[in-house]
Amino acid sequence: MVRPDKARALLAEYAASLDDGRLAEWPMFFTVDGLYRITTRENRSRGLPLSIMLCDNRNMLYDRVEATEKANIYEPHYYRHVLSDSRVTKQEDEVLHVSTSFLCVRTMLDGSSILFVSGEYLDEVVRDEGKLRYRSKTVVLDQSRIDTLIAIPL
Amino acid sequence: MNITWPAEGVARAPYAVFSDPEVYALEQGRIFRGPTWHYLGMELELPEAGCFLLAHVGDTPVVVARDEQGDIHAMVNRCAHKGTPLVFVPAGKLERKRFMCIYHNWMYDLQGRLKSVPFEKGVAGKGGMPPDFKKEEHGLEKLRVHSIAGLIFGTISADASAFEDYIGADHISNIQRVCGRPMTLLGSYSQLLHSNWKLYMENVKDPYHASLLHAFNGVMRNDRLTMEGGIRMGARGWHHLSYSKMSADTGGEVYASAPLRSAEISVYGQGLRDSSLTDVWDDYGDRVTLTVQTVFPCFVLQQLRTCLAVRAVVPKGPGRTELRWTAFGYESDDERQRALRLKQANMMGPAGLISMEDGMIGALIQRSIKGDRDKASVMELGGRGIDPIPCSRASEGSVRGFWTGYRFLTGL
Repeated sequence: MVRPDKARALLAEYAASLDDGRLAEWPMFFTVDGLYRITTRENRSRGLPLSIMLCDNRNMLYDRVEATEKANIYEPHYYRHVLSDSRVTKQEDEVLHVSTSFLCVRTMLDGSSILFVSGEYLDEVVRDEGKLRYRSKTVVLDQSRIDTLIAIPL
Repeated sequence: MNITWPAEGVARAPYAVFSDPEVYALEQGRIFRGPTWHYLGMELELPEAGCFLLAHVGDTPVVVARDEQGDIHAMVNRCAHKGTPLVFVPAGKLERKRFMCIYHNWMYDLQGRLKSVPFEKGVAGKGGMPPDFKKEEHGLEKLRVHSIAGLIFGTISADASAFEDYIGADHISNIQRVCGRPMTLLGSYSQLLHSNWKLYMENVKDPYHASLLHAFNGVMRNDRLTMEGGIRMGARGWHHLSYSKMSADTGGEVYASAPLRSAEISVYGQGLRDSSLTDVWDDYGDRVTLTVQTVFPCFVLQQLRTCLAVRAVVPKGPGRTELRWTAFGYESDDERQRALRLKQANMMGPAGLISMEDGMIGALIQRSIKGDRDKASVMELGGRGIDPIPCSRASEGSVRGFWTGYRFLTGL
């Protein structure tokens, strides 16, 4: 049984990790065969499977981290996530399903900030090697139009 | 308008054309409402009568709809009465098979003909339209439409040549190659670019940067100019098709010996941890694993390994551009192929491992050239003209081809 308050603490740690720029930690928030994807409300409502970002195992998460940190070029920026209360949508013996709304503000080094994206985390949390991890995390963006690019995962 | 094009011709692009509002207005008239063809959508997005989608031809809003006969029509999305948009959601279905303006309920059929006007004859014998008001003179402004392999193109101008002549037979054949079989829609999204639309089109048409700016390509030894490949130019040199064969990287000494950013990155020493991102199969029986094709001014068709998409580039003022992506696969895809296409979509779009930098590079340039309208970019790789070099992509000839069309139409 995964307790909702523990799942909530996991999400708080997840968001803080991204906001602090600790991207190297990101893959270990997921199980070995964990799924991470960013999609849009529009594609989801139309039943279309395209993702903006899709990793279906931890190796892919590490590949993404390495690309983001070493290969891809983008203007440096920071995220600031603001999270809503989490809502338990389903409680199974081994898996807790929770949804949480978020806002993400993006700030560039010149000081300019925008409300970059908003949306919902649809999370499936499991106990794995004594820790809570994501078996699945789907980020559903309200926006279908992204300002410039998404380099750092949400 | 005070633009002096440098004497070197299309081997230069004066910076002023990227930011001048008067140039932008001129382009809207001479290019976008001029004799050019524009991508509007895919036929499979309009499966039934009454289905519609919205598109843009430059600043002009367009609605595309399928009628009861199965024919596709494109019209300016603007009621003839006051200019109200007839539909204002990106896509949908008109259950009553007609457009009704929300403002005063003028009603049009799916071909854009005005069918009824409320109170046309007045109320209780008073008011109403003048007796000589003719509904047939107030239909929606129609575009000419051309469908090819499920892709819908339109033109506002009566002067545009037939689509086949506009891009040329060779380029028709690549559209048929990539799209000429039943397709399935995988999804769409867009990016807001803080740059002029032409900076994005230059980027797409420039095979020079692919292995340099995109270090992911560089370190993965993807899309290198040492691979067998080339550029084929469309009619008049305005359009381009860049292709390469992944399996035939013929030697890397120019990459090994040159000061390249990708050579300075130690990442991926053993390749990707998950190699399925670069799995590939031959969809077309020609071993060509990458094609990027443009139709002047603003359409892109990409086959990036198994990752298939169209891109529509929509200007949003001199310094802003919307880049709209639509990804597709084939009805014949098995489960593995479909899953791999969705996985390889990591390479494209706003978070694309390869395409990410393209969303930003134009914005950097836009900012840095702002104050210097009299300076110009220098594009001399592969010469100063637009003749392709056989079996070579070490050329900016396709970018110069873009400027050839641009100068012809704008007179700049």
